[in-house]
Amino acid sequence: MDPRPTILVVEDEPEIRRFLRSSLEAEGYRMAESASARRGVVDAGTHKPDVVIVDLGLPDFDGVEVVRQIRQWSTVPIVILSARTQERAKIDAFEAGADDYVTKPFGIGELLARIKVALRHAVPRQAGGAILRFDDAAVDLERRAATRHGAPLHLTPIEFRLLSALARHLDRVVTHRQLLTEVWGPSHAGDTHYLRIYVKQLRDKLESDPLRPRHLLTEIGVGYRLLSGDAAS
Amino acid sequence: MKDAWAGYAWAVAAAFAATLAGFAMRGRFDLVNIAMVYLLAVVLVALHRSRGAAIAASILSVAAFDVLFVPPEGTLTVHDAQYLLTFAIILGVGLIVSRLVERARLQAREQAHLEIEAETERVRSAMLASISHDLRTPLAVMAGDSSTLVEAGERMAPGARQALARSVFDQARDLSERVNKLLQMTRLDTGAITVERDWSSIVDVADSAVRRLSDRLAAHRLIVEIPADLPLVRIDAALIEQALGNLLENAAKHTPPGTIVRLRARADGRLLVVSVEDHGGDATDVDLERMFRKFQHGSMEGTAGGVGLGLAICRAIVRLHGGDCWAERTPGGGMTFRISLPLERQPGIPAERSPATVDGPATDDPGR
Repeated sequence: MDPRPTILVVEDEPEIRRFLRSSLEAEGYRMAESASARRGVVDAGTHKPDVVIVDLGLPDFDGVEVVRQIRQWSTVPIVILSARTQERAKIDAFEAGADDYVTKPFGIGELLARIKVALRHAVPRQAGGAILRFDDAAVDLERRAATRHGAPLHLTPIEFRLLSALARHLDRVVTHRQLLTEVWGPSHAGDTHYLRIYVKQLRDKLESDPLRPRHLLTEIGVGYRLLSGDAAS
Repeated sequence: MKDAWAGYAWAVAAAFAATLAGFAMRGRFDLVNIAMVYLLAVVLVALHRSRGAAIAASILSVAAFDVLFVPPEGTLTVHDAQYLLTFAIILGVGLIVSRLVERARLQAREQAHLEIEAETERVRSAMLASISHDLRTPLAVMAGDSSTLVEAGERMAPGARQALARSVFDQARDLSERVNKLLQMTRLDTGAITVERDWSSIVDVADSAVRRLSDRLAAHRLIVEIPADLPLVRIDAALIEQALGNLLENAAKHTPPGTIVRLRARADGRLLVVSVEDHGGDATDVDLERMFRKFQHGSMEGTAGGVGLGLAICRAIVRLHGGDCWAERTPGGGMTFRISLPLERQPGIPAERSPATVDGPATDDPGR
């Protein structure tokens, strides 16, 4: 058995597959590749990859559809490659269950960072001990207690729930819809303004500079991402 | 389809109106004049409605005229054969007029189509002429740098090699950004952009734009000033983020490193105004309107200039939102670009229950 983590790359452009192969193998990963969406869905089953990278612009059918089909039976982390002109498709991919994205063209460093995050969170975190660290604040989600500069900090029940929902996908993108559904329930999935108001409250309480947040980050048009203490520095 | 039915309704109405007029005229005018009224009705329908409606109007008119006015009244029978000619003329005129109208409509449509094509062609050639330079420059640099690496890389000091590789990477990113701008401008021009509005916070928009452009803004001192109580706006946040990003990029590009770039937002009556203020020095000669034109380069800055679409895109996006984008001179030197967005009535949010229940179970749902 090859002990190296396997990355499946679903990408139709051979040049891009070639460049990914040389970089990923240099970093100690094993790379499997699929040149079409159809192959990608099949290979995701046969190769048992640790991370799947899906290009959104595939020739046979949509990359979003690849994400959707893989998600029907697998929780493998999926990172999508999108162009800046594919904003809508990117949102669809997240709704379909993608975990993260990298915008083309990207430096290999960016992609490797996303892969590391994906691998780190592939194992579901065990309950307990979930303490979120901000620059001057810390939140113990388990005990529902928060401090800022060492002094107790009050968070409302909804603020705790929103933070927990973000923390469940720590370092990864969570869509507006996902957050609204998890915190306020499915009937409020379209009430984005709830989210704007509570994200602002959380930033005011937890970020050193709420106007330039370092932890509770905006993924414009898509959702939010909570960066863990070490990743933010 | 609905239009077709409306046409037939018009045909019936016209024949009916002609019949009413006919009754009013009966006894005082010749039957020929009543036939003329029917003819008028048919011509009017043929002029304004479809061919089918014109034929329907002709048939209805002929039938009504025959049954109600041509002796023996009350039947379709015609004693005087000359009325058969009248019928034929009414039908014929209806057909000819509707045919002519149809042809004229078709020609007008073709003409409009040709004009649009000519305009598109003009913009396209202007664009090609302008961009060939802007896209070729980074390509030339990349080809030069990478060929140096290929041919002399082994003899070079690691630092120099690294610098060349870095340059290729930077140029590639730059080129990609130029292509994105061209695509975006084209989509804005052709109406291929749909604005998907949602309640958004300008802090989110600013956060995203500032982080996306952090590399380019690194050499400047960026100051963000947004009041805590700023209202939410209903916008397509991803689009407005691009617009704001273009302004920040513009400021970073046209002002010396180390100068201040100030990003501000404020509510002003029924508008939310976001501004990017730079201190890039003397701007007295700058044409404040001209710089929003497509393919307009700020100054003689060579490859740093991009494709000259950033401000045009910004304005187009903001105007799609019912707002505006304009430039002013910063007092003391530099430029200030402002975006205004219409404010709407703020959405409500249910108040959360007493904040004392922090330790309570998460089962309560104050979101109702």
